[in-house]
Amino acid sequence: MVATRPLGITDVYDRFVKGKRVPESDWDYTIIPQNATALKEKYKLSFGKETIPEDKKTMNDLFQAGLEMLVTTGYYCQDLGRVMHVTEEEVWEGIKKTPTKIILGEGRDIARFYPRHGNSPVKPIIQGGPTGSPISEDIYVQVMQSYAQEAVIDDLVDGVMTTIEGHPAKANTPYEVRATMAELRATKEARIRAGRPGLGV
Amino acid sequence: MTKFGLRRCDLHEASQLNELKMDMSGLNMLAGWATNGDTIMIEQMPIFGGYCGGVEETAICDVATMIASFCLFNCDVHLDGPIHIRWGTTTTRETLQIAAHAAAALDQNTDLLLGNQYYTLAGPCTEMCLLETAAQAITDTVSGRELVSGSASSKGVVKDKTTGMESRMLGEAAIASAGLEVNEANSILEQLIGTYEKDFARPPAGKRFQDCYDIKDVVPSNEYLKVYEKALGTLRNCGLGL
Repeated sequence: MVATRPLGITDVYDRFVKGKRVPESDWDYTIIPQNATALKEKYKLSFGKETIPEDKKTMNDLFQAGLEMLVTTGYYCQDLGRVMHVTEEEVWEGIKKTPTKIILGEGRDIARFYPRHGNSPVKPIIQGGPTGSPISEDIYVQVMQSYAQEAVIDDLVDGVMTTIEGHPAKANTPYEVRATMAELRATKEARIRAGRPGLGV
Repeated sequence: MTKFGLRRCDLHEASQLNELKMDMSGLNMLAGWATNGDTIMIEQMPIFGGYCGGVEETAICDVATMIASFCLFNCDVHLDGPIHIRWGTTTTRETLQIAAHAAAALDQNTDLLLGNQYYTLAGPCTEMCLLETAAQAITDTVSGRELVSGSASSKGVVKDKTTGMESRMLGEAAIASAGLEVNEANSILEQLIGTYEKDFARPPAGKRFQDCYDIKDVVPSNEYLKVYEKALGTLRNCGLGL
């Protein structure tokens, strides 16, 4: 049936609330592995030795298997212990709604983001940074500057400041929030020191 | 947000859980960002050898997860990162294969914007770390991804073991491999992965940022520059036109 509209976050929440209760262990140890294996067999997927696929049939079969995995299995909300479902038509409406061109950063430091397709001669966006690695508070600016100053970098990704004003940045405490804000201030300083204040993060 | 917070043009990042799973914390963050018109990136790192199982099963779950990021959770960019349950890295033969197949599957059928993140086993200032990074950069670029993000050297878990030089390699390898024929890239990868996977059981620990950079001037040490040049030589020997 035709979709009423693409799903928003509140639609997804509403479906989780009304969804079927499933024990998390059933989801993890039974539903996910059984459904994935069944779809591998249905689509006769076998990647062989190639790291990157060279035939379009494998790509298309994998896409169909993944789409079917999502539609037939649904999604699990860990806090509610419930499963929501989405139709294939709603998936395609969501794909159509998603922007395919975005701009990261500001001013002369922007990175234009658009589909490459296949192995386009246009390089991908290079996002440099510690990718969530733990970084000492006293060298955080210098570590981020080491990325921002690299010529090939188009965008930055933060590390995790391990302390804030000497206190451990423990999760789910006020120190975590203060450390996150300090990370952003330090990253801004690193961008300025590297002469690229507008770089996206 | 504030003048020191994220801007709308920055990627606001939320994480899914393993596998095909979300929590209320994620939904609540996404509701705020979507309402504010922020640019949103959702990450999820499917585990090879975990709940999904083998290579093909993990790739199926990866594709499902990527589609869900856009169609359920309203992101603009999906950040992938298939990870090996034994080694905890994204640069193994199996996880590169999963990432490449999942990206190519979506690339062939949609215009969605796809990224991948980097977790190497070896630490900074080692050739192995740079070769791991280059292998994934080639894989991601040739399989059609739009963004490469890294690198979390030393598996992203050791304090201060990550530097800008690893990202230089990420960028240089991506630029060198953009436009390669897929079979040519596969041939390079076959040789390249073989140079480092034999050392997975005993990876070089590498050096902290403070020990391989001049902290005052923020420049890499001569030692690291020499290691980098050696890695470039190895990549050229594998057939990458740097």
